[in-house]
Amino acid sequence: MVEIVRPAMYTIVVDKGRYGQCAIGVPPSAALDRFASAASNWLTGNDASSPALEVIGSGLVLRFSVDTACAITGAKVKAFLDDREVEPWTTFRVSKGGTLKVVEVLEGFRYYVSFSGIMMVDKIMGSCATNLECGFGGYRGRALAAGDRIELTEIGLADIRIVPQKYIPRMHPPHTLRVVEGPEAHYFSEDSLKAMFQKHFQKSYTVSNMSNRAGIRLVGEPLIFREGMEKSIISEGVMPGTIQIPGDGQPIIILYERTVGGYTRVAIVIRADQDLLSHLKPSDSVIFEMVSMDEAERLWLGQRGKLFHVNAL
Amino acid sequence: MNLTRYGENGVRIKFGDAINLEIHEEVRRCYFFLKAIHLPEITDITPAFTACLIHFDTRKTSFTKLAELLSEREPDMALAALPEPAVHEIAVRYGGVHGLDMSFVCAHCGLTEDEVVTIHMAELYTVFTVGFIPGFPYLGVLDRRLNTPRLETPRVRVPKGSVGIAQRQTGIYPFQSPGGWRIIGQTETSLFDAKKEPYSLMQIGDKVRFIQEW
Repeated sequence: MVEIVRPAMYTIVVDKGRYGQCAIGVPPSAALDRFASAASNWLTGNDASSPALEVIGSGLVLRFSVDTACAITGAKVKAFLDDREVEPWTTFRVSKGGTLKVVEVLEGFRYYVSFSGIMMVDKIMGSCATNLECGFGGYRGRALAAGDRIELTEIGLADIRIVPQKYIPRMHPPHTLRVVEGPEAHYFSEDSLKAMFQKHFQKSYTVSNMSNRAGIRLVGEPLIFREGMEKSIISEGVMPGTIQIPGDGQPIIILYERTVGGYTRVAIVIRADQDLLSHLKPSDSVIFEMVSMDEAERLWLGQRGKLFHVNAL
Repeated sequence: MNLTRYGENGVRIKFGDAINLEIHEEVRRCYFFLKAIHLPEITDITPAFTACLIHFDTRKTSFTKLAELLSEREPDMALAALPEPAVHEIAVRYGGVHGLDMSFVCAHCGLTEDEVVTIHMAELYTVFTVGFIPGFPYLGVLDRRLNTPRLETPRVRVPKGSVGIAQRQTGIYPFQSPGGWRIIGQTETSLFDAKKEPYSLMQIGDKVRFIQEW
């Protein structure tokens, strides 16, 4: 059993996500940093698709009533197991009665915590991810609160593993997000597209504090619609990472909580950069860079090594 | 077939540019056909008003290969069998505390509340798509006399069961959620149950009639 003594700003159960149900509006609700989530499970000897905790903010306190192994990945944190500092991206053993405290988040935004064993949480439509808006999946469909307990079964004796430094991404702002063209890119004036996406010309955007798990809102130079162009579309399916432009011209990056949308889709963040979306925090600055589809594919293939390493391929 | 790429792992098949039943019927055929043949490289399908978005696994196929395969299968798609649409009757309490925007809608459309209700109930609506959140049906086509714009600033919380209208569409919020549609009533019918298949009360192509409850 793991007891949540303090849940930090927000702690939810996530996994690889819920797929195959877009036609009835069910979104993936996946871990936003999928490499980090898979890595935390690899470190604790679990399947890459196992659940993990996704946490924002310092102050997380967990108490263990079993012997297990634990790992913290994602945002770089300062954490202590009882009085001993623990290394992120590394397996550490936890004894019954131990207390884990995360005292500071040093770089990035969301971090992931896994335990060796199977978390007994709600599996809905094949996934343990929490759909917070609709209240299902994960821990009773909600964020964890002080006093909640998660039962662990089939606790294995995890080996001590370390994720090689070269696979640990940089999460410091300013962030550069590479994108490919979206279906409605031609709705916008050439000048404003250049100002948003073209290398050496692009202006930076600021992450708004109105951002949440459904979407990241950005504030900056508005995109300008070409004359006579509609400012919305007939609602259509959207993919994670899509950058939507509502009537006011300010971008919203869709994450893993929406299946259809009626705003124009100017671009899509490439898959190689999507994990970084987990680490965009309010007031961070972001620049975009348009790349070709070939480049996007090449960059994604370049990530195979690290995904393979943590068994997530 | 109008096939275009959407990001690295999406294919859009577009059937037209308007909200009408002919175009939608093609979307439905495409969706049910792909669902029936169950290709392992397709991870999800999002059918909507005018297009199907196909999510694919880049470990199992490529855009070029999948596009080729889909084009080859186009003739079969046109012949695909469609399920008989279910007809749902939804009881609604209109106006007052149940319809936060009823007075706005009346003023905007130049109609009395009774007229708005009568017009809203007269149509047998089609479920054009289900989404943005689980179980939310996009219903059309709403009578042009009720054509009302969305809220300029969406509400942070629209109550569960709210019946809203937006332009030529009407819909029902299965959960409390953010939303910008104009709310004219409330229903107690449950639209989504995450623990029981088929989870969503409505699926694409179903028909919906609203009846007034006092």
